[in-house]
Amino acid sequence: MTPPVRIAQISCGPDYAGVQAEINAAAHEVNGEIFFPDITLKDIRRDFDAFGLDVKSPDLKLAIARAMALVEGRVEADAVFIATCFRCAEAAIVRNELRRYINENSKLPVVSYSFTERTTAGTLLTRMEALTTIARRRALLARETQSGITLGIDSGSATTKAIVMKDDKIIGTGWQPTTEVMKSAQDVIDHALSEAGITLKEVQAIGTTGYGRFLVGKEIKADLIQEELTVNSKGAVYLADKQHGPATVIDIGGMDNKAIAVMDGIPGTFTMGGICAGASGRFLEMTAKRLGVDITELGPLAMKGFGGTVPMNSYCIVFGTQSLVNALAAGSTREDVAAAACHSVAEQVFEQQLQEVDIKEPVIMVGGTSLIEGLVHAMGELLQTKIVVPHHSQYIGSVGSALLASGFIKDE
Amino acid sequence: MTAYTPVHAGTVTKYVIVESFDITPAELAVRGYEISKGAMIKETCFGLIVNGMEEEVDRIVTELRKADPDHIFIKDRGFPPGDARRCRASLGGARPGYHGIEHEMTVIPYVSHGLEEIKKRDESTIPPPKNPLEHHVLAIDKLKKLMEAQES
Amino acid sequence: MVKVFIYPATSLILSDMVARFGHTPLSSAVAIRERIQTPGLESPPLQITPEEPKKGLKWAAVEVPAGVRGRMSLYGPMVEAAEAAIIINDADLSFGCMGCARTNELIKFQLREKDIPKLDLNYPKNDEEGVQFVSAIKKFLEGLGGAK
Repeated sequence: MTPPVRIAQISCGPDYAGVQAEINAAAHEVNGEIFFPDITLKDIRRDFDAFGLDVKSPDLKLAIARAMALVEGRVEADAVFIATCFRCAEAAIVRNELRRYINENSKLPVVSYSFTERTTAGTLLTRMEALTTIARRRALLARETQSGITLGIDSGSATTKAIVMKDDKIIGTGWQPTTEVMKSAQDVIDHALSEAGITLKEVQAIGTTGYGRFLVGKEIKADLIQEELTVNSKGAVYLADKQHGPATVIDIGGMDNKAIAVMDGIPGTFTMGGICAGASGRFLEMTAKRLGVDITELGPLAMKGFGGTVPMNSYCIVFGTQSLVNALAAGSTREDVAAAACHSVAEQVFEQQLQEVDIKEPVIMVGGTSLIEGLVHAMGELLQTKIVVPHHSQYIGSVGSALLASGFIKDE
Repeated sequence: MTAYTPVHAGTVTKYVIVESFDITPAELAVRGYEISKGAMIKETCFGLIVNGMEEEVDRIVTELRKADPDHIFIKDRGFPPGDARRCRASLGGARPGYHGIEHEMTVIPYVSHGLEEIKKRDESTIPPPKNPLEHHVLAIDKLKKLMEAQES
Repeated sequence: MVKVFIYPATSLILSDMVARFGHTPLSSAVAIRERIQTPGLESPPLQITPEEPKKGLKWAAVEVPAGVRGRMSLYGPMVEAAEAAIIINDADLSFGCMGCARTNELIKFQLREKDIPKLDLNYPKNDEEGVQFVSAIKKFLEGLGGAK
């Protein structure tokens, strides 16, 4: 067994919120090991002064000193997990500044998280898996071309996708809403294979990602079972042909949203919406339903409207839907309501997620929601940049999986 | 979550911390072993950790303190000695409370000095320490005088 | 013997002084010991489970961070049990159980609200302040009466 990935924990409060055991369990699940950088009181006094952020909580002073010990190499680690209490302003400032400081001054992958007493190992698992993957599989993530014949499956919370690739080209696709995890996976695999005109036997390596990755991966004997944060980043920069230098990947998913700051195709920092699923693809799906259009028509509809006239806040999916109904009742046009819904989701992602990563161009939007033109437009307006939506962006997880899986082809 | 069964239930643990020129933690540990009737004694860099039934632990620490009363300090500890949840070896770094003790160790010599001195002096002559809640501000007439002095 | 809340509750010096002069210090260690010696669900390192922040709702509302409420589940009952308090006001380097400034503000406020004898101090910075510090604590504790 490979030695565990050493994850340095920089935190304030998890042991008093009762969630330290959950953090340990999530790390353990992905063969990671949480440890606390060892420093002395002298280090704390000196580093706290040197960092210059004059916080009052002693444990945050300790966190600052521990971060400096990691960056300066006085304590060795493979990755960093920063965790502070949700709703603590003082800690949020420290969390953000330390995340940025570590990201800018070291090669250590960092994930930051604000927990409540309800945070579970399950919630943390994808983040921990991404953290350990980046630390452990740098060589695999450095792969820039696909070779041989590979299959990638993305078993997402809303939809299941499959891609067949051959010699760096996409030759087959499959897509359908997720119902029964295995059945949906089998259907999209069959579709992708028949479109590609090959049989499963010819496939040389398989990769899975998404919520159902473990179940599907085990069932079809995948060579690579990998969380969607690293896979999607890889897929995004590959499809957008931005494999070198910085990039920001935004994936507004069916249940949660991801924002990933990427450097040379490898995630540096990332966030994943955790506390509430309000501003997600699901809200847009509900909007389309209420407006009586197919989800594929929502984007073009929104492009014809003007969202500024309709007040809408999708922070909470229930209240968001209520303002949608109110707006229609008050006589707003369907076009304006569609535009407002897109703007609201983009705004929520901007406020909730994008503040936790440093946005560097190009900004690449992926996932099924990237096909909703109105949403991409709203995000571009908020970020004041032209958003890149690569071809096959709705298949991002499958493409990333198929690409990375080619590293597992036996004769390679 | 799995069920938790405590070990050492019903016992107490105390730190005996030594900041003395006359006795080292190692010497104090030897004394501890001599007088201990079944209590667990562990030597640390600061002094000792004693674990056992409350009466026995109290008897031992009271006895140990006699070796140098003004330079030996005692404090409760939540965990029994060597508990993996607090152990530096398993945490990778010191538990946060350690740094707190590290800080107080820089103050302890003044406290020891105080303990020695109050026995020598007439306590009624020792002034109270400055009250940290009283914030002394410069009286306005005094400020005026200072300004006038600057101007002339 | 009088139950004396010590602030910082992790203080070696205050814990020692209170016991040395015959009273009972109310310290973090005793609250933690109570938890790690009680059977229940496993929640290392401190045996503070996600239930504790919910118990902390008695002292702080739900919008207060979980870490504050979890800590208050330790300190709230101690503040309620306190019959006197010694408070060191410049305890800026007390980590762990006293590592959260927001919790510490709340504890201090609750002690101030309570009609019990209180002694406010700073850490001594030199020998002479050490003498005044020890003398003040001794007089305060003797004044409480009932020392062991």
